[in-house]
Amino acid sequence: MSVSLVSVFFVAAALVGVGAFVSTWRRDLTHALAGVPLMFAGAGTAFAGVSRFAAAPAGGSQLLGQEVAVLLSVAALAAVALGVGLAGREGTR
Amino acid sequence: MDSLHAIGFYVSAALSVAGGLSVAFLSDRSRRGLSLAVAAIGVAGIYLSLSAGFAAIVALVCYGGCALLLAGSTYRSVEPAIAAQWRQLGAVAAAALMAALAYAAYRGHFAHASFFGGPIGSAALGRRLFAHDALATEAIAALVLVALVGATVAWRARDRSR
Repeated sequence: MSVSLVSVFFVAAALVGVGAFVSTWRRDLTHALAGVPLMFAGAGTAFAGVSRFAAAPAGGSQLLGQEVAVLLSVAALAAVALGVGLAGREGTR
Repeated sequence: MDSLHAIGFYVSAALSVAGGLSVAFLSDRSRRGLSLAVAAIGVAGIYLSLSAGFAAIVALVCYGGCALLLAGSTYRSVEPAIAAQWRQLGAVAAAALMAALAYAAYRGHFAHASFFGGPIGSAALGRRLFAHDALATEAIAALVLVALVGATVAWRARDRSR
């Protein structure tokens, strides 16, 4: 059993697809917000996979993909916080 | 990548996708939050099996925070006036997007290379974030600040209007 870049991209595609599905399937907009972190996680997975399987420079490692994955995680949290805050202003219990 | 890492990768992938699908279909708010937390654990496991330990820790904290926000008592429902067929069309478009991405991954030609990085790599990643790519880090920090200020202002405006 092994993992290749193609396997990582399949998982990333599944996460992006599931996130898009969550965002479109639910009628409640606040519930649809849950798709945002899933899509960001899929993009981050693709970046981390490229970083893992990329040719590394001599004596070092390729870290750009990991860096983008970290930034995407933080951006997802910020987007959900803003969305829940705005929904708190407009919505009902 | 050895068998243990491969098993960890596939188990984590199954957890994250199953957790994401549960978010779509569960109706109870707290269960949806729990499902998103399971997806967060799965994503962190994927990152960890890809030798991105620091990204795994950050992902666990951030996506776990998303789950807490969406399951917490601050949750309010917002119902848009959109017809059901548009949502169904969007769901079909999401499936088409997944198929297109999977096809692109399958048809791509990728070179094989060896990997020399460590499992956590927080020091090297910190150097990249705060020295090499400081502008991107500051842009994300500004985004977080705007989001938190926006959320606070929205909540204060709501409390004032009560």
